[in-house]
Amino acid sequence: MEIDLSKISLRPFKLEDADDFFLFAGDDQFTMNLRWKTLTSKQEALDHIKDVCIPHPWRRSICIDDRSIGFVSIFPFSGEEDKFKANFGIGVAVKYWGQGIATRAAKMAVSQFFVDFPEVVRLEAYVDVENLGSQRVVEKAGFQKEGVLRKYAYVKGKLRDLVLYSFLSTDFQAEAEGCLP
Amino acid sequence: MEDTSVVQLHQNKPEDECPNLSLRPLDVSDIDAFMVWATDEKVARFCTWEPYTNKEDGLSFIKNTIVPHPWLRAICIDDRPIGTISVTSNSGNDKCRGELGYVLASKYWGRGIATRVVGMVAETIFDEWPHLERLEALVDVENLGSQRVLEKAGFQREGVLRKYVVLKGRSRDMVMFSLLSTDHCPT
Repeated sequence: MEIDLSKISLRPFKLEDADDFFLFAGDDQFTMNLRWKTLTSKQEALDHIKDVCIPHPWRRSICIDDRSIGFVSIFPFSGEEDKFKANFGIGVAVKYWGQGIATRAAKMAVSQFFVDFPEVVRLEAYVDVENLGSQRVVEKAGFQKEGVLRKYAYVKGKLRDLVLYSFLSTDFQAEAEGCLP
Repeated sequence: MEDTSVVQLHQNKPEDECPNLSLRPLDVSDIDAFMVWATDEKVARFCTWEPYTNKEDGLSFIKNTIVPHPWLRAICIDDRPIGTISVTSNSGNDKCRGELGYVLASKYWGRGIATRVVGMVAETIFDEWPHLERLEALVDVENLGSQRVLEKAGFQREGVLRKYVVLKGRSRDMVMFSLLSTDHCPT
């Protein structure tokens, strides 16, 4: 099922997305590298949208024909010292993997985010060393690999090596001017 | 501009060998020793703070930050403080990591003291904190002296984190180093 990438759009989440949200977030494979637990009911999906997605500083639903098939989140750090940095996360429904959808959504999200948050200088993504799919997504979206941080944090109770990627606001400007791939 | 932070790579002279180095808590009675490095702009260069200009501020810092710190020790020669070394702690999913930091009075730079003291801390911190898996340190890309200290102490350089901190109003690239509880320290 080839998806026409021009049909991919980003928009805020709505309560009406609960069914679609449960479809992708109810899958263990989807949540494997996220901190979230796999959702077990439509009610949990509704609660997650209401309590997490909607109040979030910048979370968008990745949509095909306006139906939600994933999310992209960018979370600015709090505190005076860290508000110039933000954390990037993304997830696409398992059935849509391997078609360039996440990469496309990531590029769109980064462009929009630097416009919405002009004070953010550094966007970071932490990706499990074993999560090759997500590493490819962020690399193709233009993030730069900075290094592997060994035994950096626990995710779902397991100590992980995480690859750290960054995308700077200056990378974004350079890319917009055609100086970077 | 002279880079005064570069560690001089000379052969250790006999008088440099084995000064009586020790670690102990620091308290307000150490204020005069503290002011020696705290007022030094060479020392403050890569630190978040500006050189101290009065004792009251120094006393406040010792009382409010140093004394309650989860793990901070004075670096001493013959029990006289010449700097400090500390490890931060984290909670929850981040409790596996602690961040190392140190300052040393500039008169004592270039003699391998920081390297030895980092080694001393690396030897004990994983035993004192069994939940600690990773000791990390972030060093300004221009702070070649401290990069050398950590390399000699057996830390692994993981990469350069671009514009990772804002230090004194400027974005700085930082080198990330780590030492795991499972790594071996060079003797």
